[in-house]
Amino acid sequence: MPDAVKAPVIKAVGVKRYYKQRGGSLLSFGRKPRMIQAVDGVDFELYEGEIFGVIGESGCGKSTLGRLLIRLEEPSEGDIYFRGESSKALMKKDPKKFHRMVQAVFQNPFDTFTPNDTIGEIMMRPLRLHGIGKSDEERRAMCEKALEDGGLKPAADFLGRFPHELSGGQLQRISILRSMLLEPLFLVADEPVSMLDVSVRAEIIHMLQDLCASRRTAIMLISHDIAVVRYVSQRVAVMYLGRIVEMGDTDTIIQNPMHPYTQALISNCSSIDPDEDKQAIEIQGEPPSPINPGPGCYFANRCFKACEKCFKSYPPMRTMKDGRVVSCHFATGDE
Amino acid sequence: MEKIKKVGVRLAGMVRSSMQLRMGLIFFALVLLVVIFAPSLAPFDPYDLGDDLLVPPGTNGHWLGTTNMGQDVLSMIIYGSRASLAIGIVSALISGVIGTLLGAFAGFYGGKVDKVVSEIINIFLMIPTFFLILIIVALFGSSMINVMLVIGLTSWPSNARMMRVQAMSIKERTFVKSAISMGETKRQVLFKYIIPNGLFPIIANTTMGVAKAILTEASLSFLGLGDPNVISWGQMIYEGKQYLATGWWMSTFAGLFIMLIVMIFYMIGDGLNFALNPKMKKI
Repeated sequence: MPDAVKAPVIKAVGVKRYYKQRGGSLLSFGRKPRMIQAVDGVDFELYEGEIFGVIGESGCGKSTLGRLLIRLEEPSEGDIYFRGESSKALMKKDPKKFHRMVQAVFQNPFDTFTPNDTIGEIMMRPLRLHGIGKSDEERRAMCEKALEDGGLKPAADFLGRFPHELSGGQLQRISILRSMLLEPLFLVADEPVSMLDVSVRAEIIHMLQDLCASRRTAIMLISHDIAVVRYVSQRVAVMYLGRIVEMGDTDTIIQNPMHPYTQALISNCSSIDPDEDKQAIEIQGEPPSPINPGPGCYFANRCFKACEKCFKSYPPMRTMKDGRVVSCHFATGDE
Repeated sequence: MEKIKKVGVRLAGMVRSSMQLRMGLIFFALVLLVVIFAPSLAPFDPYDLGDDLLVPPGTNGHWLGTTNMGQDVLSMIIYGSRASLAIGIVSALISGVIGTLLGAFAGFYGGKVDKVVSEIINIFLMIPTFFLILIIVALFGSSMINVMLVIGLTSWPSNARMMRVQAMSIKERTFVKSAISMGETKRQVLFKYIIPNGLFPIIANTTMGVAKAILTEASLSFLGLGDPNVISWGQMIYEGKQYLATGWWMSTFAGLFIMLIVMIFYMIGDGLNFALNPKMKKI
């Protein structure tokens, strides 16, 4: 961790998000509604100018975690601290200030902007909302500059266009540029490139990297594409069924994963080298139901290492010698 | 400026895509001209009681005949278009505005607000609306404003239902989420993102609502509950019905024109529905 001395920009403490299960038969009347654990106790810290990757399979709660961080949803338990300030308290006191500090880039660039407005109106809107810039002309100039810097030239031309007239890559760049106009402390990028052509993915990723480097914004990159995460992020967290199972420096984890789930995930990742001798670890079955997943390790029923102990108690988070944290009974730190 | 131009291009494309819409708009423009130039178009003063009583169409310059009081039927129809159109448009607007606001509130806020509004909508849908209108007009008098208000205040539930569903689906879309994360308040989201993006079906429905309101007004007048001081087509049918045997022209022409204008608004409404629905567009 390069900035370990500094105070973290974001600190999540025991963040949980439950959903009530809908419906239920007449027989379940009067019983407690069953809870679905989308995010089940997540702790992490994020530092200034750092890109933090979150990977995991579909439905593991990584997008929910992103929504919790930008407060589209409220955590059921736990809290997230931004520069030491509780987001719960901040949202009550001054929601505008909170939204200025925390911005998001979404998966679907074609649906990120309201179809009735021009790009100019769309980009000037957050500036107007937060009272940045004195006049509309000044705001327009700021937007133009941002677009030019982002490689969208001629900027004046883009400002007059409608979202449906632009390509996905252009829209996603505008989405990032708009978020950055507010100079946030923290940016959540939820699968920012998964809907784009492979040819423009690199541009978007580089843009995020540049902004992160030049403005020292902390970025959380949620993705199921391990290659992308490996390429950009300094630290990575692997999620499984609402919990972080392994977290640490990206290179250490990808080169030498300790948690069996991470090992399986990475061994199944295609490599560019055809001669590389790699045995993919197959995991069978589905993740257990997120409703009362049981006392043991959530991964135990699919794990190739599982023993009796794994079914009895959930392994605690343990910090290893190389700084990573793993939650597995087999990761003892002696390896 | 650019935005206005682009919206114009889009509207032109819509008009081109639907024959029905185009025809409806042309006829509506004609009706509008009649409404505006009524005084110069009408051959007689419709309130003037002439000497020709109940003469058939074509006599003494009365192209469509006269009433039992000697009023010129054509002039009455020309002036009556004003009342019918005004009532139709105003009451449809009232119902459109109320329906949009209530529906959007219910759909966007969800939860208890939604439950309450949905129940209100259900209650209004269950009420036999026409009898409610009858009672209200009978109780509070039948001025034109009352009639407009009553029709508007009873016909909003269909708009509200439509807008509610629109709001429920739009609030899940990414641009609403991104607006919230940008710091827009709930009310700003509702008025800047949800309503403008969900309004199109309501516009089509409201256009049809104009036709329905004109019919309702005609029915009220036919039952003798219209505004007696204003010439409207429904009023003409009401007054002509006792002379159907001796002077069929009094009711018949007014009836034909009601049919015509209702058809025009249905054409516009249906055409808009077609033009706004991307799935129905020709490839």
